[in-house]
Amino acid sequence: MVKKKKSLASPEPTPGGKVGVYVCHCGGNISDAVDVEQVCAQARRVPGVVVARDNMFMCSDPGQEMIIEDLKSGLVERVVVASCSPSLHETTFRNALVRAGGNPYVYEHANLREQVSWVHHGPEATAKATRLVAAAAAKAAQLKPLDPIRVEVRPRALVIGGGMAGLKAALELAERGQAVVLVEKSPFLGGQVAQLQELAPGGETAAAVIGELAGAVLQHPAITVYTCAQVEGFEGYIGNFKLKITRTSPESAEYSEKLERLSQSGCGPGEYVPFVGLMPAAIPESREEIDLEAGVIILATGMRPYQPRQGEYGYKDFPEVVTLPEFIRALAAAPAAGDTLVLHGRHIRGAALIHCVGSRQIPGIHEENPGGYLNEYCSRTCCAAILHAANLIKERHPQTKFFDFYRDIRTYGRGQEELYTRAAANQVLFFRFEAGEEPQILQNPDAKGSPLLVRVKDVLTFGEELEVPVDLVVLAVGQEPNNISDLVEKMKIPVGADRFLQEVHPKLRPVELSVAGILLAGTCQAPFGVGEACAAAGAAAVKAAAILSRGYVELDPFVAEVDLSKCTGTGACVEACLADGALAMVEMEVGGQKVQRARVNPVMCLGCGACVAVCPENAINIQGWTLKQFESMVDMIVSDEYLEQA
Amino acid sequence: MALVNPDFAAELQAYGVDTALECFNCGTCAAICPLNYEHFPRKMIRYIQVGAKQQILQQAQDLWRCLHCGLCTRTCPRQANPGELILGLRRYVVAQSRRGEHV
Repeated sequence: MVKKKKSLASPEPTPGGKVGVYVCHCGGNISDAVDVEQVCAQARRVPGVVVARDNMFMCSDPGQEMIIEDLKSGLVERVVVASCSPSLHETTFRNALVRAGGNPYVYEHANLREQVSWVHHGPEATAKATRLVAAAAAKAAQLKPLDPIRVEVRPRALVIGGGMAGLKAALELAERGQAVVLVEKSPFLGGQVAQLQELAPGGETAAAVIGELAGAVLQHPAITVYTCAQVEGFEGYIGNFKLKITRTSPESAEYSEKLERLSQSGCGPGEYVPFVGLMPAAIPESREEIDLEAGVIILATGMRPYQPRQGEYGYKDFPEVVTLPEFIRALAAAPAAGDTLVLHGRHIRGAALIHCVGSRQIPGIHEENPGGYLNEYCSRTCCAAILHAANLIKERHPQTKFFDFYRDIRTYGRGQEELYTRAAANQVLFFRFEAGEEPQILQNPDAKGSPLLVRVKDVLTFGEELEVPVDLVVLAVGQEPNNISDLVEKMKIPVGADRFLQEVHPKLRPVELSVAGILLAGTCQAPFGVGEACAAAGAAAVKAAAILSRGYVELDPFVAEVDLSKCTGTGACVEACLADGALAMVEMEVGGQKVQRARVNPVMCLGCGACVAVCPENAINIQGWTLKQFESMVDMIVSDEYLEQA
Repeated sequence: MALVNPDFAAELQAYGVDTALECFNCGTCAAICPLNYEHFPRKMIRYIQVGAKQQILQQAQDLWRCLHCGLCTRTCPRQANPGELILGLRRYVVAQSRRGEHV
């Protein structure tokens, strides 16, 4: 499973010698506070250092070329770059070593920017920089060439979630020649999109979009779909995830309404049914367990619409107050023609639309939701969705009047501003309220008029209090992530303060999680529109396909290594180990005797060093960060031998 | 507290006022208006939108402050034509007063 790659072609560096030190000005970021030339001069006096040079931008091509030339000419064999934070450019310089034909791990980084020039000034800055560089050089002299850990990848992707994003990710992967298993908790494919009709802003139908996508998924020979299925067991790491999938008959009440709708529709397996989705297979009669190995996992666990509390904007107090998804369902059963919209036999002369329900909640102003949290984020899709619905109805039933109560209108995307403009042309009347002064929904005292009265302190009318009689109130509810706390716990994946899953970097690595090999697709990450969810799913699928088609992954070798000549099998390291499966006691033969010795699984090891601290024999070390290397750094930090006499 | 009357805008169409609902209340017209007077003309346009007939009649004199310079109409981002709306409101108020509704 774990193979060591053949040693990189470079010759083994001479132990202890030929260290090159390269000090960066960072365009003044460093050199304004640190005397770079003096740092170089003193670095040349550190034992093992053969050359010390400076450059305005060491990360620039000429800067890197300087290092590469010194390596190629044989002048240096070990490199220290003293520049910005290693998180920015350590990889850059390690790659420069590789380009010079060397091993990337005989490299040490000294941070003279964040740790020196940005926080110190005057002679102390140069003094500290000098000691950091000397320590790095001392460590570099002790470094050994290492090989990256190479892990073979199981040629299969697991996609969790059969909504829009999961379907899209599965299909994209399959079309790239990868085997996919798609696991869906409910008996249906299509997720929340199947609960809609026409999609904003373009008006494509959910039936067409889901029908096409799910149809292609079900027909694709490389995709296996398990509905009524959940991930119960999870272990492993990138390339080698081991999962236990269970299929059970779902809790009876949960999907009964949809199953009822399905049986009434007369549609068969694999056919799209509005407000249900597709049911590709029968519900399992008994519990089934499936063991599965996968190289990568895509999470597409999706969202659910915010469910208002009883009494929030009159919800559940008045039957005329509904959420937007409930309204869309009712609309599907309404007559398509007629001057006025008729819902459940009632003429809707006036309807209120209320924005930001369950979104943009403010601490101290809004009441916490039952779970004790606030949704402080904007759900991004509700403005467009509700204006789209208003336009459709207004254009079909011109006598139905719409009153739109908003905090801000955020029709932010392509084709969405047009929805807002069209709403004005359709004579939708807008009112604006401040957070904390939400419109109140009251019983209309005029018994002959509409049943409800919306009272609002209207910012647009200079704070005057206005009342609007209406027959219907539609709440534009936001998106909340589905509760996947079981998966979060099993996979140890990070969750943001907003309860959505947290990507590694919002700009540069937007579909990756900090757990290698697990990717994000769709609204488990943030509120997305359908198009955005598909784009994210496509990105996750391509990332996954890249890992699968390469066939192996390489990990940094900064992991624990046991020195069997010193190990006496105390087991202290195994007890201290923080990563399940990274360290174990195994039986082996030493000098003809069977003994217990520690063994590292390099793929599971976090490189944290907890084992190093507890070993009484000093028989375990982190490669690239050994105790000996640390000691040489500390020795050099406290030494004055290399300092120029003042 | 006023009850919104969404039919008022339609009632005004007879007086040449038919762009009031295009307005999205940005306030550009009030900012550029040389009168620099109490949200004029935006306030009047909002009154049309919500059907605040009484407020319009009570503050009708303000309608005659307008110089009809056309700056609001030229700068309106929604082509709601504020200048023309004010003229239309004048016609409406005059008609109301002839009917004896104006106090």
